[in-house]
Parts: sequence; C-alpha cells; structure tokens
Amino acid sequence: MIRLNDIHVTFNKGTPLETRALRGVDLEVPEGQFLTIIGSNGAGKSTCLNVIAGLTKVESGSTEIDGKIVTDWPVHKRSRMLSRVFQDPKMGTCEDLSIIENFSLAHGRTNPRGLRFAVASGMREEAAERLKVLGLGLENRLDDKVGLLSGGQRQAVSLLMAATGDTKVLLLDEHTAALDPKTAEFVLELTKNIVSSLKLTAVMVTHSMAQALHTGERTIMFHRGRIVFDAAGETRDKLEVGDLLELFKREQGEELADDSLLLG
Amino acid sequence: MSLYEILGTLETGFIYGIVALGAFLTFRILDFPDLTVEGSFPLGAAVAATLMVSAGWNPWIATICAGLAGFVAGFMTALLNVRFRILHILAGILIAISLYSINLRIMSGPNKPLLMVDTVFTYLEVFGIPGYIINAIFLGVVIILIKFALDAFLATGYGISMRAAGSNPAMAEANGVNVGKMKLVGVGFANGLTALAGALFAQSFGAADAYMGIGVIIIGLASVIVGMSIMPSGSIFLATIACIVGAILYRLAVALALNADFIGLQASDVQLVTALLVIIALILQQSGNLRSIFRRGNKR
Repeated sequence: MIRLNDIHVTFNKGTPLETRALRGVDLEVPEGQFLTIIGSNGAGKSTCLNVIAGLTKVESGSTEIDGKIVTDWPVHKRSRMLSRVFQDPKMGTCEDLSIIENFSLAHGRTNPRGLRFAVASGMREEAAERLKVLGLGLENRLDDKVGLLSGGQRQAVSLLMAATGDTKVLLLDEHTAALDPKTAEFVLELTKNIVSSLKLTAVMVTHSMAQALHTGERTIMFHRGRIVFDAAGETRDKLEVGDLLELFKREQGEELADDSLLLG
Repeated sequence: MSLYEILGTLETGFIYGIVALGAFLTFRILDFPDLTVEGSFPLGAAVAATLMVSAGWNPWIATICAGLAGFVAGFMTALLNVRFRILHILAGILIAISLYSINLRIMSGPNKPLLMVDTVFTYLEVFGIPGYIINAIFLGVVIILIKFALDAFLATGYGISMRAAGSNPAMAEANGVNVGKMKLVGVGFANGLTALAGALFAQSFGAADAYMGIGVIIIGLASVIVGMSIMPSGSIFLATIACIVGAILYRLAVALALNADFIGLQASDVQLVTALLVIIALILQQSGNLRSIFRRGNKR
C-alpha cells in the first residue's frame, strides 16, 4: 500500500544548519498492516510520516501509495487516499466549524460535495451513530462548534473523521502524546478498533516503546535518518521494552541520548 | 436628522455593507487581510462609469462587468500571495497601487461624471416613488440578496472548505482542500463584491473618481468590527447580519459626528473619525473596557 524507495531528505541544505533528516529510507507497508515507528527526537520518524503525507519534499527517492507514484503530489491531492491525526488535538479538527460540518469536511476528502449543501441528508444520523460509540454524549452536540470541546474529545472526533469516507491509509503522528494518560489510553483503544474494523493500513509514530510494541503488528525504529530495526510477527511478540533498548544500544554502540524513550 | 438624511445614510450604509461582506470573507473567513479593496472599489466605479458613458452599455451589464473586474483584481492579489509567496498585505498594496494607474487609464482621467446617462437607479423610476426612498429600498434588497447568497455559499461543501482553509489550513489540506485555490477564489469573490459596491456608489453619487477608494478598507473593516462587537455573531447567518448592521451604524456615527457642529468637525475629517472609531473598537474588543488599557503592569 505504501512504498518508500531510497528516500533522502535534507533540511537547510547548503547552510551551517544543514540536517540530513532521512538518509536512504526504504520501506514497504503492505495493505492492512498496522506499523508503529519509534525513534528519539530528530531520528527522522516524523519526517518519514511527513514524506508519506506530502508535507516534506524529498531530495531524492520516490513515494508510492496504492500503486500510484505520488512523489510530486501536493498534500491535498494525497489526502484523497490518506487521512491524518495530528499530535496537537487542535490541529485535527476545525474549531470554527460545528461537529457536523467537520464530519462533512472529512467526508469531502474522498467525496467532495462542491456547491451542494455540505451536510447531506443522512450525514447527521451517520455522524451521531459513530459519535455514540465514544460514550461522550457528542451525538447530541452536532451543531456545537468544535472549539467548545476538550482536547481528548477533539482527538476522538479527529480519529472518527479520519476514518470517514473511503480512506485507505491512516497516518498517526504521536496522536496520544498531548493527552492525559487516561484519555490517551481511550484514544489508543479507539484507534485499534477503528484500524481493525475498517481494515486500514496504518502508520503510527510514537515516543513510547511500550505503545509501539503493544500496538499494531510491526515496529520499526529510526536512528539518525535510517531504519535501524524492523520487527514483526513472533520476533516482535517476544520483545519487551528492555530488549529493544539493549538491541538498540548494541546496534548503535552508543547510549541513548533521549531519556524520553525510556518512559512509558 | 431629517428623513432625507437618514435614507441617504442608509443608502451609503447598504453600499458599504457590501464592502463589509467582502471584508468579512477575507478577514474573518479566509484570515487574509486584503488591502486590494482600496483599488477594486474605484475600479468597479471606473469600469461601470466608462462602460456606461463612453461605450453606452446598459447600466446593469456595466455593473456586473465591474464586479467581474473586481474579481480579477482580487484573484491577482491572491495569486501573488499563493503562487509567488508575497506577503498578503504587501500583495494587496501592490495591486491597489497598480489599480490606481489602471483606473486613470480606464477613465482617461481622474474622474468620470455620470451626467445624462441611465444608471441602474434610473430604472427604478417606473415605481413612481421618490428617488431617495426607492434607492435605499433597492440597495437594501440587493444587500439582503447578497447576504443570503453568501450564507448559502458558506454552507456548501465548497464553502466549508473555504472556512476550514482560513481557520486551520493544515487540517484543511489534510482533508483534501486546496488551500491556495480557496484563497484565489475567496479573495477574488470579496473584491468582486467590493467593485460591485464601487459601481453602485458611483451611480448613486453621480460620478466615478480615482480617489474614491481611499479608506475603503477601513470602512469595510470598521463595519465588520463594530457589527461583531455589538451583536451576536456565533453563526454565519448572524455574522453577516452583524456586518450589514455595522456598516449602517458606522455611517450613522460618521454622519452624526460630522453633523454635530459643536464638535467642530468638517467633512474632510471623515477618515480621521473612521480610523479613531476602528482603533477604539479594536481596543475594546481585546480588553472589554478602555480603563484597563491605560492601567500599568496589566499588559497581556
């Protein structure tokens, strides 16, 4: 479903601040796979996600989604095939629009409504039904502005929106990092349910090794712009956070500079 | 104020209300502070007047052409911003400045009197009601039609895409919205409205003038800010009403200030009065009351 071929990304090229964010990344995510990505700050995990989404231009290499070469496609065009949930709950929803209008917008990602009324007949019932599952009472607040909701509520709505329409690929950029532990757990469970019930291909970037290992079915680790570790199936099932750290130290021959990886 | 003066104020208020709806679209919906209107307002007047006087066109068609010309002007501003990454404010100033010369070219001079030609207001004489009454009624109907058309547009799929593009561009893009295209169309549309207002203003006033655009941006903005700070504007429906009410109130305030002889203001002080009004409204909007602004150590 997603294929990255020898992706190179350099930020601030030709300046003293030059950073080689990705240095030859090859990655293939088959249809229906739930992949988790870990790595320390600046390792390239978020850049990798941004390359897939089209936010970051690649220096060389090619990106393929659903059999189409999308390397030169702008973000909005790629959005027809993939949806995203951001780290900041404020980013995933539009606060000046009501809940139902946000749903309509998400629906328009794959089926643009043009000059017809945004909220089509049946859309309200459909949205209410999906929101009911959350148990947050949002199904009765369809006409409330999203800006009135809490961060956790907004992130849950973002997730439901991301799963609206005929989306194929779901990109999650540390989407539980800004939430309190209980809400984060709730949103993570919701993510797992949505991905498995809709059989989506999903890529989740996370800071937490435990979350990476216990979510989805494959985990890769980035370090200094390269994929240094790739585990799936039984090998991954046996892994624990400690093993991952050991493995990481051995491969890199250095201590982990970022303690945040140990947390969680 | 006499009925004649009140209706005259309403007439101008309605025309500026159209400008206010355009300013609402750019400033509030698209988050694109657009200064092009300083040039597109007289552009609309110049195009309409020249087509009517020099080319002998039907005033209705000339007025619509004026709106189209305004759309092109706004489109160019957004193009400079979207395609060539020129700062939106600067892009607007550049187009407005160039429009000043273009307007002089269009009119082959600094102004174009509409003497002895039919205007859209001439057509209203069939109702047999005095001009100062029917003109105000006609413009009231026009602005209400525009208001409802704008409301309806902003409720379509295209419309909410535009609202999202202004409110949260990253999210809009992630939902398949071409943010650049929305700016091109939205800013174009807003300037189309402004030019339409310019065309109507010239016909109501009796002449097109190259200088009539000065301060239009502030008038539009003042109407939006005044309207929104005194009226509920939670929904698009209410917000567009607030813009129109704001434009009328603004005109009333200016008329009263200029009429009140004891203040000693002259007609030429209108821009100063407008600017002061906007500054006060903006400060009030931020702080809730004036006193806290002048209190020390209480800054945000």
